[in-house]
Amino acid sequence: MGAAQDLSILKDAFSTLDVREYGDVLQCMRCGFCLPTCPTYRTDGVETQSPRGRVAMIKAVVDGRMDPTEEFSEHMYHCLDCRNCHTVCPAGVKAGERVLEARHRIEEHRPQGVVKRLLLEYAVRDQRRLSRLLAPARLYQRAGVQALVRKYDLLKAVSAGLSHLEAIMPEIPPRPLTESIPEEIPADGKEKGRVGFFLGCAMNLLYPEASRATAWLLSRAGYTVVTPKAQQCCGAPNIEEGERRVYGEMAENNVDLFLGKRVDFVVTDCAACGNELKSYGKHLGGRKRNSRYAGAFSEKVRDVSEFLSRALGPEVPFGPLEEDACFHDPCHLCHAQGITTPPRELLRRVPGLRLSEVPDAGQCCGSAGVYNITHADRSMKILAAKVEAIGKTGAHAVVSSNPGCLLQLEYAKRRFRTDWEVVHISTILRRSLARREDKGGSE
Amino acid sequence: MTVPLARKLEELLGKEKVLSSEADRLCHSYDATPLVSHLPEVVVRASTEEDVHAVLEVAAGEGAKVTPRGSGSGLSGGSVPVDGGIVLLTTGLIRILDVDADDLSVTVEPGVITADLHAAVEAKGLFYPPDPGSMKISTIGGNVAENSGGLRAMKYGITGDYVLALDTYFVDGSKVRYGTKCVKDVAGYNLTKFLVGTEGTIGIFTKITLKLVPKPRSKKTILALYDDILAAGRTVSAIVSRKIIPSTLELMDDVTIACVEEYAKIGLPRDAAALLLIETDGHPEVVREEGAKIEEACRENGARTVRVARDAAESAELFTARRMALAALARVKPTTILEDITVPRPAIPEMMAAIREAAKKYSLRMGTFGHAGDGNLHPTCLTDERDKEEIHRVEAAYDEIFRKAIALGGTISGEHGTGMAKSKYLPMMVGPKAVEVMARIKGVFDPQGRLNPGKIFRKEAH
Ligand SMILES: Cc1cc2nc3c(=O)[nH]c(=O)nc-3n(C[C@H](O)[C@H](O)[C@H](O)COP(=O)(O)OP(=O)(O)OC[C@H]3O[C@@H](n4cnc5c(N)ncnc54)[C@H](O)[C@@H]3O)c2cc1C
Ligand code: SF4
Ligand code: SF4
Repeated sequence: MGAAQDLSILKDAFSTLDVREYGDVLQCMRCGFCLPTCPTYRTDGVETQSPRGRVAMIKAVVDGRMDPTEEFSEHMYHCLDCRNCHTVCPAGVKAGERVLEARHRIEEHRPQGVVKRLLLEYAVRDQRRLSRLLAPARLYQRAGVQALVRKYDLLKAVSAGLSHLEAIMPEIPPRPLTESIPEEIPADGKEKGRVGFFLGCAMNLLYPEASRATAWLLSRAGYTVVTPKAQQCCGAPNIEEGERRVYGEMAENNVDLFLGKRVDFVVTDCAACGNELKSYGKHLGGRKRNSRYAGAFSEKVRDVSEFLSRALGPEVPFGPLEEDACFHDPCHLCHAQGITTPPRELLRRVPGLRLSEVPDAGQCCGSAGVYNITHADRSMKILAAKVEAIGKTGAHAVVSSNPGCLLQLEYAKRRFRTDWEVVHISTILRRSLARREDKGGSE
Repeated sequence: MTVPLARKLEELLGKEKVLSSEADRLCHSYDATPLVSHLPEVVVRASTEEDVHAVLEVAAGEGAKVTPRGSGSGLSGGSVPVDGGIVLLTTGLIRILDVDADDLSVTVEPGVITADLHAAVEAKGLFYPPDPGSMKISTIGGNVAENSGGLRAMKYGITGDYVLALDTYFVDGSKVRYGTKCVKDVAGYNLTKFLVGTEGTIGIFTKITLKLVPKPRSKKTILALYDDILAAGRTVSAIVSRKIIPSTLELMDDVTIACVEEYAKIGLPRDAAALLLIETDGHPEVVREEGAKIEEACRENGARTVRVARDAAESAELFTARRMALAALARVKPTTILEDITVPRPAIPEMMAAIREAAKKYSLRMGTFGHAGDGNLHPTCLTDERDKEEIHRVEAAYDEIFRKAIALGGTISGEHGTGMAKSKYLPMMVGPKAVEVMARIKGVFDPQGRLNPGKIFRKEAH
């Protein structure tokens, strides 16, 4: 992170926070209810690492009582954007979102590194570009360069997607899903409607088989599945890193693209994408073009479990899976989208699957975008607590529905040598249905 | 600016325990009290009692002010460092030293979170009743310093009723351990009773022994709605005169009910004038009998509807409205100012009427909820701190409310403490002579006025 450019320019940037945003900050009554669930307060135990502290700092900067120095900026980047604080705040303050807003103000006013710009402004715009960028990654992983890079932390400067993938990089599958998935998969049986499948970058590149399972399930539920090749990144990495211009362009592209395909719903199997897509209405609100449609688009967005818990009717036969399982709530699912019941409902329908609750469910795993790279120590402390909590359930199948969480939990498996199978919810549901039907194991 | 203070502390305690950056200081300039903040010069995170001692030694050498701080959830400005100096955090002293199931006591360090203490003793079938609304974040040290109450105070009393022994450091660095695990202990002056509620102005607690009781075996929850707040007030008296002390007896007024319904849509009638949430606990037989009598008291005093929870799930559902009260009120306007008066139970209806009048007279939006069982009401003003003129009216309205509470034989603070927020009213409340006695006591322990200055005693200049 480069030094904050010119203090006075940054100060101006904060003095123009509009009334709505400032109002949210003002709304904080400093009750402290958000402290005990904030992962960074839990690990550090100091106010500067709490939502209340972050809101106080932002307010002080906006009021001109504190300068937006490098220290301030660092504090803004300590937040995981897990949104535990949104869930508990009695006054409706969205501390996590305010932090992202602050990052945006900071990033607008300082020079951006070349690699970061390459990623946020170029690579994320096209799945094929991202995949091409990963090609050398695949190669070097095999050639053993990975160990070297990990050791020297070369990619620390790289922001968003790639650096995150690097430190905890799993085996990267040889081909992303976009290369093989048809643009349109017909509904299995009588068509109930059309869903657009939003294929997140990380799912596409790292978990193509899980996303293939998602598409299969959607079709099995009676929907025609439309996966437009021209879709771009949802923009979450840009928002996380304070970038809003390219974000807006990508979001508008996605809105036009999916609405043009006349789909009834837009489903995604990535919790972070789901939250971002649902926020288009809000984030594009200020832009001229498309802002009207962004709201309509966001209304159509569903998380895969949210959608399937209704779409897979009681007539759908789930096959037995003898399995001790638990569901790890991705922050962007439970706190940002308020979804906790649907994935559990679905898993409980699998005969033989024993679902137990993770103590302190809803606590972040420490993945949080690129956090596990940029703040490795903190991330590891948070992860250790999560590993212990999951350990208490005795579960073998650790189910989740966000690529960041899956990566982090797989990394935990390696690091803490746990005996888990880390698995996307679509994979396990498909396994169950396929078992019953004997056919559908492959597409 | 005395830079050396932070450096001296660092030398003694290590860098990681001393926080002095701009952000660190800003983040310890406030607690949950609206409209007040002050920057400390430096913040220290103590994690042992030796750390506390070391800080006091340094402070004594430097003549520095020291303000103890728990989680900063206080509502009277208790941990705001009015005169700068050192903020001393005791949130790092977090050991639960001993849960004595044979002698029904628990010994903890002051940084233990109240709800964590509950969980630890309840795991052994024991019960620590004080349950302030902030218990998920408040520390036991803060609870003892503020003598905090809670929803169960009517039957079980408040924090002070459970404190058996305290290790306390005074500002000169000396330490007193007073009290035993014995319920009966009359050796000399009762220093424990005295130290409870001193709001961090007399000493700093480093070890606390609390009395426990067996966990009640069952409970019953009842929710009653009224068309008339007087009828709710009469019900409270009727329950007490039936010789029943419920564990919880909470009241919400019409504004609060409407806000809760607006926010949470849980099916409360928006035109209801008052709501009572009542719970009785204990032996299942007794609970059944008391539950029936409470229900009867509600009906006989004009309740519009009465719901009795059949099981734990329904009981939790009935608690929803009360749990949501603050959240619902806090969302209406940017600034929420919550007050804390207490009046004798029979005076509740008159007090409620006076609150309403004051709100009307000064054109303010005010919702009241509180612990009716002990006469403790929280008139809560929904306002905007940027509107200075309205804030003036808020102050004027509260002024009238405090005067009325005192006139009715009540008090200006039931559980949040005097701190900086109420010091202005203390002389009116207890009389100048009592304030003078308090000041003399304070002078004995802290002649230079270095420990948590600016609290309880009003500063001359305003
Ligand atoms: C939403 C909300 C609801 C609340 N509900 C209730 C309620 O129902 N009942 C109630 O009584 N209060 C309530 N409170 C007020 C507050 O939570 C209590 O006063 C609580 O005890 C404060 O604990 P704390 O750890 O946050 O202390 P702080 O606010 O940090 O400090 C409070 C005081 O204690 C002193 N102190 C802290 N630690 C020590 C120590 N180790 N030794 C000596 N002094 C110390 C400080 O100097 C200060 O004067 C509520 C507050 C909020 C925000
Ligand atoms: S819970 Fe909400 S109102 Fe309370 S301190 Fe945190 S952000 Fe502020
Ligand atoms: S988003 Fe998460 S890490 Fe950030 S302040 Fe809120 S609870 Fe803490």
